[in-house]
Amino acid sequence: MHKFKPSNTSRFLGFVFLGIFLVYLSNTVDELRVYQGATVAMYVVAISSIILLTGYSGQVSLGHGALLAVGGYGAALLRNNFNAPIWLCFAGAVLMAAFWGALLGATAARLSGPYLAGTTLALAVGLPSIANQFKFLGGEQGLIFDIGLPPASLGETFSQYKWFFWIASLTALISMWWLQNLLRSRYGRTWRAVRTQSIAAELAGIHVARSKVLAFTISAGLAGLAGALLSMTISTVSPGAFPLSLSFALATGAVISGVTTLGGVIIGAVTLVAIPEIADSLARRIGASENATINLPGLLVSGLLIVTVLFIPNGPVEQIRQRKMK
Amino acid sequence: MIGKNRRKLIAASAVIAAGSMLLSAAPAQAADPGLTSSSIKLGITIPMTGIASPGYNKIPGAMKAYFEYVNANGGVNGRKINLVVKDDQYIPTLAVAKANELILKDKVFALIGTLGTASTKAISRSAQLSARGIPSMFVNTGFSGFADKKAYPTSFSLLPSYQMEAKVMGKYLDDNFAGKKVGLIYQDDDFGVDALNGFKQAGVNFAIKIPYASGSQAVAGVPGTWITKLQAAAPDVVILFGVSSATAAALGNAYAYKYAPKWILGSVGGDATTLAANKVPPAFLAGAKGLSFAPAPSDATDEYIKMFMDVNTTYNKGVAFDNNIVAGMTSAFLAVQAIKAAGPNLTRKSLIAAIEKGGATFANPALSPLGYSSTSHIGATGYWIGTYDATGALKPDGGKYTVYTTDSGTGPVVISNYKRPAMPAKGLPN
Repeated sequence: MHKFKPSNTSRFLGFVFLGIFLVYLSNTVDELRVYQGATVAMYVVAISSIILLTGYSGQVSLGHGALLAVGGYGAALLRNNFNAPIWLCFAGAVLMAAFWGALLGATAARLSGPYLAGTTLALAVGLPSIANQFKFLGGEQGLIFDIGLPPASLGETFSQYKWFFWIASLTALISMWWLQNLLRSRYGRTWRAVRTQSIAAELAGIHVARSKVLAFTISAGLAGLAGALLSMTISTVSPGAFPLSLSFALATGAVISGVTTLGGVIIGAVTLVAIPEIADSLARRIGASENATINLPGLLVSGLLIVTVLFIPNGPVEQIRQRKMK
Repeated sequence: MIGKNRRKLIAASAVIAAGSMLLSAAPAQAADPGLTSSSIKLGITIPMTGIASPGYNKIPGAMKAYFEYVNANGGVNGRKINLVVKDDQYIPTLAVAKANELILKDKVFALIGTLGTASTKAISRSAQLSARGIPSMFVNTGFSGFADKKAYPTSFSLLPSYQMEAKVMGKYLDDNFAGKKVGLIYQDDDFGVDALNGFKQAGVNFAIKIPYASGSQAVAGVPGTWITKLQAAAPDVVILFGVSSATAAALGNAYAYKYAPKWILGSVGGDATTLAANKVPPAFLAGAKGLSFAPAPSDATDEYIKMFMDVNTTYNKGVAFDNNIVAGMTSAFLAVQAIKAAGPNLTRKSLIAAIEKGGATFANPALSPLGYSSTSHIGATGYWIGTYDATGALKPDGGKYTVYTTDSGTGPVVISNYKRPAMPAKGLPN
């Protein structure tokens, strides 16, 4: 049994504490780390969206990159055409991606396993290229997504990337807090019931299909939010920013995080951002050839993925929790 | 218990946070980053792996080779040039991440040769090149926007714009294929729109136009149907104004269908090395027309090509000499000229000013005039048109370069009588 069960208040305080720590961090680390921090926050949201879908509701998506694209384009269009404030762009990104997610979820509820994986994969390949078909989506070179300079009240030395980091971190904290509450609620329990034993869940009075569609919709909304954050950090949105490799990276991040627990999400997010840099310095230290240097990040990620699946299939956080419970 | 500790931690970190906010102050502005009295650091992010990498991944090696040659001969104004290379896989998100590493971690003085319109745009915006005054030399895209000094004050183009290219093709058709039926395969996005504008200005009427959807990861369209459509319209000349994968697909299918019109290949898709990587044997190209602004890589009578070949042999061992090597070395050569012109008291600002002031007269291999000025950041302003031989090498017709030059606007296309400045002794900065 758990020895300690944190109350809702202390959990909320934990998030506040984390927020204060991040503000502190943003003032101490250099600008590259701040930029990377914003990317980590984006990955946190994106990976949590996969964890919700796969770990909790038992559905597989290899095409989350496409849902990120919907969010990214949604936010940029709102900003460019209606000069919407940032929070509204993000809200719009969530709604648009959730709408797509609901449509996709309705299809997905009829599919399972490899069929669902295949469908979502096709989406990841096809959807971003749609941008090339419509002029208002800006074609291959995409659209500008400029959230503007940080407010003057923050001071002259307050950099753009720090501003991105603050926005991304706050967004990630709020959505994680909301999500962990949701997963502890009736919906979270419903999803787990469906994932573990869908027939038993149905016998217990759960509407399985509806529960799956809801999970897909919420997951898509989160993915859309991540897409808006991604577009913010690169100040543009273009089809090339949402390649198939992004969808795979997110799935990898979810596995490394531990797909059944939200708590490990930061591990996957940090891994995705840190691996290329670790590979870079590693290659430099051992004086590897250019060819080896270029292929090292992929090798490290794949290696980590295999190790995770072999030794800690439920992810590091779940592993520690299980050990504590023994 | 834990709750209490946590509260203590919150209080402690709040104090630390407040303290560090008070302490943060603006550092004094020193010399520009990436610069010492004996060295200059430049950075490039380019697809070294992934679908867009074949061919392009030879560019950084070529640049490095030329820089090493210059360094071995004393550097530029006493400074040796180092090039830091990053792989962005042609993904804008990665391009921004890598550019940030170059700027913030490796602390490069300037960027050089970033590739792809979407990536270059994202880097420029997100990394705030203009606000920070970071020069971005010779971006590797034909999107005319980067030559616009107002929008991208620190970026310089090298390639002629797609619109220029289409106008030049139009003039060439007029001069050589007047009255013939012309077909076009183009990419259905702004790359193609730029081209269509150029063709329209040149007054080209197409018997058939086939758009294909682009996508950095998708296989280009349904090439089999292109050929049947072309066969039905039966044009005498077909222009392939697309990326390498589309060009490869069109040529491959045409061969399978035994369809052989007169091909004119756009400069983006008409690179034999890249086409070979897309499984098109060089022989498929034989007889097709192509465009270039640099001298033919096979033309050892050209003083620049000869020098580049020698440099490649010494400093880039085992790498086949082709137009990607020429492209990389041309950028590196121009960068060296610009750094030289900016003088010993080099700053980012003085580098940009030097290109604006003297860029149009820098010694360089391009056969068309360069358009740099205080109002424009366009590089080469024209093309020569030649024929591919059976090895996939583009050679000028009759052994003579006829260079057409024009602008990205409504200006006419004329045959250029531009005389390229002579190469400085041994190809070193003079």
